[in-house]
This record gives sequence, C-alpha cells and structure tokens, in this order.
Amino acid sequence: MKEKIMKGVFLFAACASILAVGLICYFLLVNGIPGMAKIGVGKFLGGKIWRPNNDEFGILPMIVGSLYVTAGAIIFGVPIGILTSVFMAKYCPKTIYRPLKTAIELLSGIPSVVYGFFGLVVLVPFVRNVGRSLGLGGNGSSIFTASLLLGMMILPTIIGVTESAIRAVPAAYYEGALALGATHEGAVFKVVLPAAKSGVVAGVVLGIGRAIGETMAVIMVAGNQARLPNGIFRGIRTLTANIVLEMGYATDLHREALIATGVVLFVFILAINVSVSLLNRRGQNG
Amino acid sequence: MKKRIVTICLMLSMLVVGATGCGKQAKASEGITIISREDGSGTRGAFVELIGIEEEEMTTEAQITNSTSVMMTTVAEDESAIGYISLGSLNDTVKAIDVDGVTANEENIKNGSYGVKRPFNVVRKEGEENEIIDDFVGFILSEEGQKVVQENGYISIDDVQEFTTAAPKGKAIVGGSSSVSPLMEKLVEAYSKVNPEATLELQTSDSTTGVTNVIEGTYDLGMASREVKEEEALEGADPIVIATDGIAVIVNQASQIDGLTKDEIKGIYTGEITSWDSVGQE
Repeated sequence: MKEKIMKGVFLFAACASILAVGLICYFLLVNGIPGMAKIGVGKFLGGKIWRPNNDEFGILPMIVGSLYVTAGAIIFGVPIGILTSVFMAKYCPKTIYRPLKTAIELLSGIPSVVYGFFGLVVLVPFVRNVGRSLGLGGNGSSIFTASLLLGMMILPTIIGVTESAIRAVPAAYYEGALALGATHEGAVFKVVLPAAKSGVVAGVVLGIGRAIGETMAVIMVAGNQARLPNGIFRGIRTLTANIVLEMGYATDLHREALIATGVVLFVFILAINVSVSLLNRRGQNG
Repeated sequence: MKKRIVTICLMLSMLVVGATGCGKQAKASEGITIISREDGSGTRGAFVELIGIEEEEMTTEAQITNSTSVMMTTVAEDESAIGYISLGSLNDTVKAIDVDGVTANEENIKNGSYGVKRPFNVVRKEGEENEIIDDFVGFILSEEGQKVVQENGYISIDDVQEFTTAAPKGKAIVGGSSSVSPLMEKLVEAYSKVNPEATLELQTSDSTTGVTNVIEGTYDLGMASREVKEEEALEGADPIVIATDGIAVIVNQASQIDGLTKDEIKGIYTGEITSWDSVGQE
C-alpha cells in the first residue's frame, strides 16, 4: 500500500514538468495563433514594419535581429568556451584549477540584469569609441555589443558541458594517441576533442538556447530599433526584447501579436532542441 | 602548436589595446543618437503628442528603451545623444534643454509657457465605495498632499480642497504607472502619518495595468500617467488629476546645445535632422 502511494507521488512529480510544458504550449497556441491569423501569417512573419499604433505587425526585423545577435554570441563565445574547457580538462595545473572553476561558476550565477548594466556602462561606451574611431559610426548600442555581452553570458554553459564531455572521454584514447607518437596537443585536439564531439555540440546548442532567450541584458545594450539591421555597429531589436518592451502597455491585437511573437520564439527553441536530439542520435548510431 | 596559440593571443590583445587607444581620441562629431521610449509608454505618448509627431513619422533609427535609468545613463555617456524623461526624474547627470526658448521648470509649466507636460491621474471605479480610498484621495487633493507633490519636483494642482481625515481603518491596494509610483510612494508615506490606522499597499506596473486592474477590482486605486481612454471610461474608470508632470528634453552635459525649438526636436525625431551642426543656433 505504502509503495503504491509513493509510486503515485513520484509519478505526479514526474508529470509536473510535462504538465507545465503542456500548459505553456496550450496558452501560447490558444492566445497566439488567432492573432497571427488575424494579421496574416505572411504579413506577420515576413513584414518589415512594426508599428503597433498603425496596426502594422511585421516581426521579420526581430527574427533577423535574434539570429544576428545569437550568431554573434556564438562567434565570440564558442571558441573561447571550447578552448577554456580544453585547458581546464587537459592543461590546467591543479593550483589554478580551483579559482578558475569558481570564477566560471560565479559567472553563471550573475543575474542577467547585472550583465546588462555592465554592458550599458562599460561595453556600450567602449564599442561607441571603437566604432567611431574606425569610422563605422553607430552609438555603441549595437548588434556587436549585444553579441559580445551574450558571448560572455553563454561561456559558463559551454564550458561546463564541454569540460565534462572531454573528461568523459576514456583515458585510453589519450594514452593510445600518445603511445602512437602524438604530441600532447595532437592527442587533445585530434583525438580527445573529436571523441567528445556530441557533448561539445550539446554545450554549444545549450549556449545558443540561452543566447536566443536572453532578454534583460540584451534590452539594455542592443538599441531595440524595430527595423532590419543595417550594420553590426547599429542597433537591433530581438524577439524577446520586443515582447518585454511592449507587453505592459499592449491591448487587443497588439497584445495578441506579442504573444504570437512568443510562439515564434517557442518554435525556435523547439527547433534547437529537436536538432540536438537528432545530432545525439546520429552520434550514437555512427 | 603552443607557439601559434601564443602568437594569436598576443595579436588579439594588441588589436584590442590599439582599438581602445584610438577610441580615446575619437571626436563626438558623429550624427545624433536619438533615444526614445517604447510604443505605448505614457512618457512617449505625451512627448509625441506635445511635439506634434505622428507615430508613423518617428524615425526607426531611434534607440528604444523601456526604462528611465537606461535613458539617462545613455544620454549621460554619449555626447551626441538626445532623449526625454519625466521632469521629476531629472538630475545633474544630464542637461535639460529649453524648448522654444522656455526653460523646463515648475513656474513655466504652471503658467502654460512650457508646453511639454502631461497629467498624473489616479483612477477609481465608478460607484465603488471605499472609505480608505475616499480619505486618501481627499488627502492627495488637500494642501498638505499637494505640498508633497511640489517637493518631489512635480506640478501641483491649483484648487486644493479642505481635508480632515476620517481615520478609516483597514487596507487598500494602490497600483499602476511606474511614472506616478515614485510620487505615490511619498504620498502614501505622508498619509500614513496623518492616518496611521490605514495601510496602503503600493504596486508598480504601468498605466494600462493600473486602469485595467481597477476596473477588474484587483486594485482599489489605479495610477495612470496618461489620460484615461474612452473605452476605459466606458467600463467605469473614473480619473482624478492629482498632479502635472513636465517632460524634459535632455542632452549630454558636455553638449553645446542649450535650447531647441519644437520644430527642431520634431525634425530630429523624424529623422530629417541628422547632425547637431544644423540646429540650436540662436
């Protein structure tokens, strides 16, 4: 009897997260789809003009903005992240491993609004000066700044997952490579890292997920102009920023359009997760 | 391999250092950095209306923020920036400019010569009876309440009413506009001294939420930094003006600009004027 009750409790606990996802899906679809249909799917997804007051709801600039900023974050964050985790797993002397690990854990614990404020006060003026001295113009709140900041923010995610993936590679791989005459670098970069590939990819994709969903920090440094990007030193608005900026005031169709923006964002995240599981499955079969 | 990595690192750091070095010599003779508030914001609505810009004319190059502090930080750091904030939030980090030759201050707003202003409303539900709210609104509209309004940089209303507290007991919820909220906080504080029996809970959201929640009964008193819309009034929202707020047009402290005309501000925000060189000459 006792066991049955406990089984029920466990089952309920297991279902809670599924229930949460289900409810969110339901809420998004029920509230978002009618709005999208009212605006017209093509007009909504492909429209270049976002002017809620004039009933023009085109979110193409925001979709492109989210993609640009995320791509930028990958360019900044992934190389540093992967090299850091290689260093931590294979090169790092014990004396600096502790502080390094602590620093990275701390980095992941910083609230995003603090990142945003750091970006606003430090990165924005820095990028403004660099942009202007190179004659590229812009005022610092730009795709470049947002990418830089997001690249920083996704570091802990990438490093954490990648490092454990590298550590999970059997020691025999590394030793075997050395026995065959490979150097330390050769063994690490040509044998161990490729063997940890699926873990590395998972780390990168998790980082992408974090970058695309990040809101507070991006809103403070990206400029938030609702138009197609015209240079990496110019501002852009992301999907998340669009929702947060206007949610408080939106009514009627405007509100529905913002929820529909959430649907698009949800589809993005879904696509990312599906591609991760596909990659993992292929990795296992191969 | 190791050497190569070291070389790459060195080159990268040199590039970064070099870039910062150049940055310091950069002149701020670039175009104008325009900063605006998000669509639907009470401050933006008032600004757009008072300067006479149609929403569809607003340049898409304007940077958008949903917070006064981001607006002020950006303007304080960028020599070529222009923005606008509530007069009550103005401080020394930025410079408020004259509009049409009139300085943004209390006197000029009161006598009507400074035209960029908006009402602060509290909203009640029509026909709803609540002793505490009756008493509190009475206090706000009294001489004592309006003194609090003035002390915080906002413009008081002209006809103050007599007020003695009926000292009702209980609890009520006040909520809405984040622009009105700082003032309301001070008013609640002052009221609690007059009538310590009542507890007022302050919740900050935005004008629309404030009005909607009053209609739905979540808040007993709403705050709105804009006029109440017709549809809202039809659903029973009853606004009372408690103060007037000026909107200050702000630029960087180091800016050469001290004043602009409404037409020039309009030109900047519609994207027709893109350089500081062509404006502000007197």
